[in-house]
Amino acid sequence: MRYEVTLDDRRLRVDLGQDGRFTVDDRVVAADVRETVRGRQWSITLEGSSYEITVVTHDPLRLDLDGHDVRAAVIDERALRANRGASGARTGRVELRAPMPGLLKAVHVKEGDVVDRDTPVVTLEAMKMENELLAPIRGRVMKLTHVSGTKVEGGAVLAVLVPE
Amino acid sequence: MRAADAAYRIGPAAPRESYLNASRIIEVAKRSGCDAIHPGYGFLSENADFAQAVADAGLIFVGPPAKVQRLLGEKTAARRLARAADVPVAAGTEPLRDAAAARAAAKEIGYPVLLKPAGGGGGKGMRVVARDEDFDAAWRGATGEATAAFGAPALYLERQITKARHVEMQILADGHGKVVWLGERDCSIQRRHQKLIEESPGPSVEDGLRAKLGAAAVRIAERAGYVNAGTVEFLVEWTGKFNFLEVNTRLQVEHPVTEMVTGLDLVALQLRIAGGEPLRFTQDEITRRGAAIECRITAEDPFAGFVPASGRVALVREPAGPGIRVDSALFSGMTVPSEYDSLLAKVIAYGRDREEAMARMRRALEEMRIAGIPTSLPFHRAALFEQDFIAGRYDTDFVARWDPKKAPELSDGAAAAGALAAVLATRSRGERRTLQPSDPAWARAGREDALR
Repeated sequence: MRYEVTLDDRRLRVDLGQDGRFTVDDRVVAADVRETVRGRQWSITLEGSSYEITVVTHDPLRLDLDGHDVRAAVIDERALRANRGASGARTGRVELRAPMPGLLKAVHVKEGDVVDRDTPVVTLEAMKMENELLAPIRGRVMKLTHVSGTKVEGGAVLAVLVPE
Repeated sequence: MRAADAAYRIGPAAPRESYLNASRIIEVAKRSGCDAIHPGYGFLSENADFAQAVADAGLIFVGPPAKVQRLLGEKTAARRLARAADVPVAAGTEPLRDAAAARAAAKEIGYPVLLKPAGGGGGKGMRVVARDEDFDAAWRGATGEATAAFGAPALYLERQITKARHVEMQILADGHGKVVWLGERDCSIQRRHQKLIEESPGPSVEDGLRAKLGAAAVRIAERAGYVNAGTVEFLVEWTGKFNFLEVNTRLQVEHPVTEMVTGLDLVALQLRIAGGEPLRFTQDEITRRGAAIECRITAEDPFAGFVPASGRVALVREPAGPGIRVDSALFSGMTVPSEYDSLLAKVIAYGRDREEAMARMRRALEEMRIAGIPTSLPFHRAALFEQDFIAGRYDTDFVARWDPKKAPELSDGAAAAGALAAVLATRSRGERRTLQPSDPAWARAGREDALR
């Protein structure tokens, strides 16, 4: 299986063969790979150098590489193929999502309202901080999913806007 | 709680029903048979009514008495007191009635202004307002936050002093009229007015300024009839001109840096003072040696504007070694809740000089691992290599100027290992999702192959 990996600004191609060998940018790499914490941390020895890689978060993929922070992305060949041509099917709806779990302190708009870009839509309280979430576009509020006083999960859709 | 001898339930997670519920805390304290309450550095630690209620219940409050908290806790009253004690204070207002009155006052002082809760602390509810048209939104946000955090919505305005350093002076006062200063901490590295890195001595504070700040802090404390540990905060401009900010009538999160350079145990001294003992040393007997730096590791994503994160901690490795101290609540498997402050751990490095403290801190941060949630660790690692930090030439704009996109240079080997681990991580996650056996055959084969 072939993968395209991005580490910060750097692009690498990784091939995992059926026989357990792998190549990086078409070069065969002799390495000792040990999974030191399942699904989280790997110890990799590669041509006499030892590296410890920890997955800080999966989504987005962030790695701790021997105490250095690296932002990574992995695309496999199937996804690469699927991505071609299918990009950007526009639905014409914009969702406002909770960037973190918290308490919905206030809802500043009503369904049907037309709001300008950067208008406060809701106030979300998390970790003792209040954050006003602003309309990402100018549009009509099609749907408000929660009333104030509700606890919401991170990533929850709070409002749906249609461009005006 | 794991380190405690006893634990009592004080209520559900929402702070209002537990950690801010004074009567409940006092009731539990009495039931447990303890004779004193140390309020820590959050929630009710600067609440005069709580200090009074503790005293009324026949218990000892480990901190300044209610009378002092009232005098200094209301920020505009503290500003008046500082002025009376002959300490310079930035231009500002009394508590403001409403948004319209505040807006008018802001125009008079001149933008940018700083909107601050009169009854607050710890940066909560503070807003910088740069333009008249942003004023109403800032007022709304600050009022809501001040109400949630302190139960008191009153706000006031101060002229925003930019390009300045946040320098604070630690004081101790016994109940017998003796007040001493222990030394300063530079806490300029902040985001949203909350500190991320603190150090002592302040890299840009020379002896003359230190003595002036110490004397000013002692004057304020004496005038207020201060008892116990406290911190007087100042904004110091590059010219050396300083203005009083506020008094924190409690122990500070960053107290370890002062403990490291003075060799004094501040919490032990707080307990002795609360027990009525006099301070056993004079101002001249306090010596400061070496340098200490603290990094506050928080559950915040520095690559996304320090937005708070919550979730499950999957893996923890805390640093150790000479001169390294870690005050931490972390353990693998813990859930970081969204109800509380985002502080996870404090890493403190001590050295014979600032150079050594920085070197030890860099190594400690490199050794530290936290996985499962984003943390501020990447910011701290980068900050310790920033030219302005190394030179000690930073101010309160440091975080705003930091470029999170600046990536570390990876060697070819590191990049190959990183790419491989990224693929393995993605695959292992996909497999667990579809409930296939872990340890795939090719990985086993790869390992055996490499060992051959």
